[in-house]
Amino acid sequence: MKQGFISSFQIILQLALTTAGLTGQSYPGKPTIMRCRSLEKETFSCWWKPGSDGGLPTNYTLLYSKDSEEKIYECPDYQASGPNSCYFDKNHTNPWTTYIITVMATNEIGSNSSDPQYVDVTSIVQPDAPVNLSLETKTSASITYLWAKWSPPPLADVSSNSHVYHYELRLKPEEKEEWETISVGVQTHYKVMGLQAGVKYVVQVRCMLDIGEWSEWSSERHIQIPSGESPPEKPTIIKCRSPEKETFTCWWKPGSGGGHPTNHTLLYSKEGEEKVYECPDYKTAGPNSCYFDKKHTSFWTIYNITVRATNEMGSNVSDPHYVDVTYIVQPDPPVNITLELKKSVNRKPYLVLTWSPPPLADVRSGWLTLEYELRLKPEEGEEWETIFVGQQTQCKMFSLNPGKTYIVQIHCKPDHHGSWSEWSPEMYIQIPTDFRVKDMVVWIIVGVLSSLICLIMSWTMILKGYRMMAFILPPVPGPKIKGIDTHLLETGKSEELLSALGCHGFPPTSDCEELLIEYLEVEDSEDQQLMPSHDTPSKNTKMIPKETDSDSGRGSCDSPSLLSEKCRESRALPSALQTQDVRAVQENTGAKRSWETQCIASEQKTLLFNSESAKSSTWPAAQLPNNHLPMFAYHSTVEAHKIVLSTANVNISPVLVGNEEKHQSQYSITETVHDNMEKQREMENSKTDQSTVQVKQNRHSDKSPFLNPKLMDYVEVHKVRQDEEPTVLLKHKENNGKTEKYTVPGTSKEYTKVSTVVDHNILVLMPDSRIQHTPVSQEPAMETSQNLQQGQAEKNMSYCLTVPSDCKRETSGSEYMDPSSFMPSFK
Amino acid sequence: MSARGASLKGLLLVVLLVSNMLLTKEGVTSLPICPNGSINCQVSLEELFDRAVKLSHYIHSLSSEMFNEFDERYAQGRGFIAKAVNGCHTSSLTTPEDKEQAQQIHHEDLLNLVLGVLRSWNDPLIHLASEVQRIKEAPETILWKAVEIEEQNKRLLEGMEKIVGRLHFGEIGNEIYSQWEGLPSLQLADEDSRLFAFYNLLHCLRRDSHKIDNYLKLLKCRLIHDNNC
Repeated sequence: MKQGFISSFQIILQLALTTAGLTGQSYPGKPTIMRCRSLEKETFSCWWKPGSDGGLPTNYTLLYSKDSEEKIYECPDYQASGPNSCYFDKNHTNPWTTYIITVMATNEIGSNSSDPQYVDVTSIVQPDAPVNLSLETKTSASITYLWAKWSPPPLADVSSNSHVYHYELRLKPEEKEEWETISVGVQTHYKVMGLQAGVKYVVQVRCMLDIGEWSEWSSERHIQIPSGESPPEKPTIIKCRSPEKETFTCWWKPGSGGGHPTNHTLLYSKEGEEKVYECPDYKTAGPNSCYFDKKHTSFWTIYNITVRATNEMGSNVSDPHYVDVTYIVQPDPPVNITLELKKSVNRKPYLVLTWSPPPLADVRSGWLTLEYELRLKPEEGEEWETIFVGQQTQCKMFSLNPGKTYIVQIHCKPDHHGSWSEWSPEMYIQIPTDFRVKDMVVWIIVGVLSSLICLIMSWTMILKGYRMMAFILPPVPGPKIKGIDTHLLETGKSEELLSALGCHGFPPTSDCEELLIEYLEVEDSEDQQLMPSHDTPSKNTKMIPKETDSDSGRGSCDSPSLLSEKCRESRALPSALQTQDVRAVQENTGAKRSWETQCIASEQKTLLFNSESAKSSTWPAAQLPNNHLPMFAYHSTVEAHKIVLSTANVNISPVLVGNEEKHQSQYSITETVHDNMEKQREMENSKTDQSTVQVKQNRHSDKSPFLNPKLMDYVEVHKVRQDEEPTVLLKHKENNGKTEKYTVPGTSKEYTKVSTVVDHNILVLMPDSRIQHTPVSQEPAMETSQNLQQGQAEKNMSYCLTVPSDCKRETSGSEYMDPSSFMPSFK
Repeated sequence: MSARGASLKGLLLVVLLVSNMLLTKEGVTSLPICPNGSINCQVSLEELFDRAVKLSHYIHSLSSEMFNEFDERYAQGRGFIAKAVNGCHTSSLTTPEDKEQAQQIHHEDLLNLVLGVLRSWNDPLIHLASEVQRIKEAPETILWKAVEIEEQNKRLLEGMEKIVGRLHFGEIGNEIYSQWEGLPSLQLADEDSRLFAFYNLLHCLRRDSHKIDNYLKLLKCRLIHDNNC
């Protein structure tokens, strides 16, 4: 067959080559006779291998001659043995003749012959392998043997079935390599003895005629040799168990007993007794077990138990198993498990577990005492929580997570010995969530309420934002330094201003303050000098630094704690402060940023006035004196200006107006109505001086109290009359008269009465009759310094407006007003 | 008016306090454990049984642990268990061997048996506590347990005698006990034999202590709870 395949393959190949190139056409190559074989020495076949076909369809012809004849014959049957073969049937086969066989390949171009093959039929005999091999194990006389059967190879010619074959059988254990070959003879069955029990064997047979060669081995057959022909193996006692401490059962595992039915006998003897008993009950507990009922069960006694396995071949006894029933009690799982949810007093749910001991166990008599253990976990959880509960048959479980489903199991065990029972079936309990929902509702209510409170608080904060603003950024005090560069002031750099005052270090220390004080004292000496603000370079102006550092560093000076401390200091030591120069005090506080910025603002204002107003071309030193309140007792040189102070206070009105809008201060001002009017008028006004513009801006933004001083622009104290009654003449720059109620802190002078309106833009105010005690200097007002003092007045006013009650000085008292006392507004 | 009220209240408070103190003191002087109507204030039978059961439970736990420790340490692979079937010195005392027997036996007899077993162990336990010290590399836990069991066994015997006395049996079988002859075996020169002697003794101790514990629990349920524990 194989050769047929090969040759056909070669033909195909040659055909392919032929079609591929016609140029290579030639006569065919030489065929080769592969083999000749006779299956039963009555017929035979020959197979050949074609040579190259020369690119053309090739015919093959087998020609033979017999040694006895000259005649050449052709193959009688090309078909029976497949392609490229020739079958010689009985009639053409003569065992006494030698055949000379050649194969000739012929195509259009020419032909080619193979080498001749000499065939002696008897020498080429090789039968096919036997078929239908079957194996079985048989037992006779208690010996197991292998019974193998097979059939002779089938032949094409049925009539030739009378041939006698010799057979060989070989076998080996499956896992081994070496075969054991057995000569069988002519029979087609064989009995193999002495095989290893329990081993799987592989078996093959082959056959041969009396002449010729052995056939191929037949296909393999496998067989398991049962081991039953030996005494059974030792059984093993697996375990003994008593479910209720009254009876017990033992189980064993039979050893491999072979093909024979094996009987198992359990034998036992009890401690102190010689007698051997057999198992009383093999059936109750199932196969391979022995049940000892109550009568046969004793405690505190060792049982020596063995199991004997017996079959035809003999018997085998297990190892002895020593059992004291006391120690092998393993109860059944608890039953009647109930899970109940209950609410405790504080409405928290807890789980009540109850169960009963297993029905078999008699715990009531006290013969058996059980202890329990339960375990639980959330349904999706991994780890069990195990709780040993002792002998009780109920358990309360607290602190379970609501909304979760728990799995609960219980098992039990005798009190001393024995083992735990199986776990009881899983019990599920859902811890309801509604308890939690109630909690949630409470929390939601709390949350809503708190957020509502927050909302209200923030709302009020926004409403009262200006106050907060004032707390954070209090108004700026007026300038008190003479000779400072106007441009520097205009830039609004407090740092530079400070630097101008000789304080270079940050944070400002006491040194800094001292410096300032010194500086101011120097200024004080120049009090009476009239100095032009820009064209007269003084030593002060020289000190103006070039640095344009931002005021960020000042913050350290301004920390609320510091300020409040200052406030406290100032309150605690009023006398000390009072002895100081008023201006020095002012400067002290001026070290604070807010103060300073105010100073800048007001100073700037003043400077603006200076530049604009023809009346005040000079910079009067008098600008610096504190005009908070009359403080005649403290500084004589300032006294001269006290009058001015009082008058200057009058000028504050616009500031007040500005502030009044936001601060509900003690000053009741009726300005508001006029405010808008003013604004409108300002808008209309052809005068576009800087201050006016600023005012407008301020009014619109309505935010910064610092800019309020700029409102002063359009009101000037024209004149203060001191003759009979103190009267202030207010002059509006924009020619607008105003009717306002001015309340000056400390002085308690309210200029509420409009005396007269002069020249359309001069308002004559008279102090309120109720407050007549204001000490007013008899000296004539220095009109030239009025505007400058306005700045100071503004400064004071703005402070007053932001003064919180706790830090506010008693303004009605005729004491000086410590600016630091306003600081606690940061508190 | 208010001042008077306050003083009145204060007085009342003081009176209450004093009376409460007096009452409390009275409570302290009386013994709540004492059962009502009893002439001699005694511990109740239930309480006695409770204590006895606790004690027997404890003794058995100790002896069981001791046996296991010894078994693990000295008896592995020596096949002592097969030899131990020869019985214990208390085997002459016929004790109930299963539930039915235990339930059929009269509680009086059962109590006497318990007493007999306890007494039978007095002697061997004393020797065990001393001889166990000689075991090579005996762990402290075994030594300690031997002493503890010996002491607790005495206490349990006292308690059981008290219980028996309370139950007013006509005659206490004082002489029921089994003599132990095993001291020489504990002092054998051959280590293997000696260790087996210990093994057997501990094995018997475990068994008998369990017996006693079991019987006492049974008796408690029968006598105190009327078989309805």
